[in-house]
Amino acid sequence: MSARTFGPNDTVDFIVVGSGAAGGVMARELSQAGFEVLVLEQGPRFTAADFKHDELDHWFNNALLNSPETSPQTFRKTAAGKAERVRDFPSLWYARMVGGSSNHFTANYWRFHEVDFNERSLLGEIGGTSFADWPIDYAELEPYYTKVEWEVGVSGLAGASPFDPPRSRPYPMPPLPVKSSGVLLERGARKLGLHPFPAPMAIASVPYRGRPACAHCGFCIGFGCEMSAKSSTLYTMLPEAEATGRCEVRSESYVFRVDTSDKGRVTGVSYFDGERREHFQKARAVVLCANGAESARLLLMSANAKFPDGLANSSGLVGRNLMFNTYAEVNAVFEHELNEYKSVQVTRIVHDFYDSDPKRGFYGGGGFDSRIGPNPIAWSLFAPPPERAWGAEFKALLEAMPRAMIVATHGTSLPVETNRVDLDPELKDAWGLPAMRVTYKDHPDDLAFSRFMQDRGVEVMQAAGAQQVWKGPVAEAPGSPHLLGTCRMGNDPATSVVDRYHRTHDIPNLFVCDGSSFVTSGRGQPTMTIQALAFRAGEHIAAFARRGEI
Amino acid sequence: MNEQSTSRRQFLQASGGALGAGWLALHWPQLAAAAEHAHAAATGEAPREFKLLTPDEARDVEAIAAQIVPSGDTPGAREAGVVYFVDHIHAGLYAAQANAFRADLAGFQQGVAEAHPEAGPFADLPGPAQLAYLKSIERTPFFDRMRFLTVLGLLALPSYGGNRDKSGWKMVGFVDQHAWEPPFGHYDEDYPGFKPYAKERQS
Repeated sequence: MSARTFGPNDTVDFIVVGSGAAGGVMARELSQAGFEVLVLEQGPRFTAADFKHDELDHWFNNALLNSPETSPQTFRKTAAGKAERVRDFPSLWYARMVGGSSNHFTANYWRFHEVDFNERSLLGEIGGTSFADWPIDYAELEPYYTKVEWEVGVSGLAGASPFDPPRSRPYPMPPLPVKSSGVLLERGARKLGLHPFPAPMAIASVPYRGRPACAHCGFCIGFGCEMSAKSSTLYTMLPEAEATGRCEVRSESYVFRVDTSDKGRVTGVSYFDGERREHFQKARAVVLCANGAESARLLLMSANAKFPDGLANSSGLVGRNLMFNTYAEVNAVFEHELNEYKSVQVTRIVHDFYDSDPKRGFYGGGGFDSRIGPNPIAWSLFAPPPERAWGAEFKALLEAMPRAMIVATHGTSLPVETNRVDLDPELKDAWGLPAMRVTYKDHPDDLAFSRFMQDRGVEVMQAAGAQQVWKGPVAEAPGSPHLLGTCRMGNDPATSVVDRYHRTHDIPNLFVCDGSSFVTSGRGQPTMTIQALAFRAGEHIAAFARRGEI
Repeated sequence: MNEQSTSRRQFLQASGGALGAGWLALHWPQLAAAAEHAHAAATGEAPREFKLLTPDEARDVEAIAAQIVPSGDTPGAREAGVVYFVDHIHAGLYAAQANAFRADLAGFQQGVAEAHPEAGPFADLPGPAQLAYLKSIERTPFFDRMRFLTVLGLLALPSYGGNRDKSGWKMVGFVDQHAWEPPFGHYDEDYPGFKPYAKERQS
């Protein structure tokens, strides 16, 4: 069946705003459940022929990203500071295209562990934060993690990590072939008594559901996959949604307002098409899956007389508790060639430091992996230490790139109410809408844990026999692609924006499901959990609709 | 053998399997674009002419780049044609920053003239004097920008004007093949396979 096209006067069952990791799943689940679904995506729809292996264009010209020229943002560390316009690269970045950031992501697909959902109860209060338990637990989400692995397509080895939470099914595909960086991480970690294991990745290691296996081209993080081996919703969820004959994916449709009635119900959304013409589309219900930055911004931009502080914002928490996940690097150079520019980023990870340990003196948990970071330009710019950043020693380092790798550390970001997304009072985007203003300062524990993990990474590289090892910087983050926490989920309308089914506490036919739903940040790889939440929410929202409870 | 048939065979080999081959045959025209773009961009030489920079500006830019990635037994920024990249990018993708870049370059030249009133432009200073001067300004935004542009000019697709004869890619050991099979490097050649942990750890 071919994709449905809705007319301007049609009232659709659901409008899904955003077509990325969450929106793709939501569209598929609701349309397969028998509902009419219109997906509105602000960016264009790319085909394989549109993807290019051009590092400059992708990493230094924002080829796929929300552009700082047309979709500008301002940034400040605290509310006391003036938010300055961010040039060159966005503070909060995402792929602005059909399939969203599931096109350009690294495709690390870690499940959360049990501890991620009830850590507040286990560890108690943490000063200066809004650390809280989730309203759901791991057992409730487990079937949906399994669904992501099988429906979206994840490669991995069940039971390989002694720290993995219980699972109901193995992975549908074996792990991707190990790279030299993975072998070295494994060698060093095992020597130290740690438990490295094959990384779960949303990339096909063997032909899967009509998609071919990865060809190991190496243009992976930051790039779209012309092979369709990367399990982007562009290739997985969205075509399946369209195949129901009940779903339209309308690209270049930038939603700028969710409209409500006098009775306080959502009536539809207003959006700009590719020519910046304004449209209104009616819907029985709206699901925001626009990502953890844009969903909050859209709710705030939709303020009206009945909802003067923005939609679904009676708690005042829309946009607050923004979380990133910390990231730090350890660089290493070995005797022989690794050629890390080939294949996917990550093949081995370590989860021995996943749980927070009060004995360390600070909160934090995470994992580290083996990789090279992005492609040759980015490595050359960012990996060298300051004293070898130019001149003969810099050239010697460049010549050592085939023998180099990175241990990347990933960790928790605590929820802090003052870290937030809101509307810049002055700056407008190219459509005349308020620009996103970002306020973010890492909690000291986040940085302390990041440094702790970096030291563990150094030990592992030394144990693996590296000839040179040096640490990258650990500093307060100016932004992130991990956009979490800004419409947090909870049972209490006073302390959360959406309920356990992602329905906003304030408006019965408005739902939000993406990274914004996160109560805590997890350990560093959020997309797997975003999609598990979307599968679960889709099932519940469809059930509500069937029972007339929307 | 032309580049197209080479990359097609590489894709077929690397992907493998019945579905792989059939799927690739079906999708080849679209699929080829990403890699072919890079191949075309890698083999298409950009013209060796300046679109923006004056000869004096170009000489100094080239001299700075040649200190950031020096020549020697192997090609450096000079041989990679970084100066052509810096010129072309400011007439293209980074056109919006061209005026600011040239103003900063003028400021740099002014600084050199003040520090070495007896000498000519930066490009004419002896090597050690060039090095010493750059060391004195290595924390400035202009130097940071020059380092950024030099790396881009060394390693971006040759169609942007630099990376002549893929000399930048050769320096960092990058081969623009766009499809690979394991083993990828020395250390995964004889990997014996993942050894599971003892069961008792799995509580």
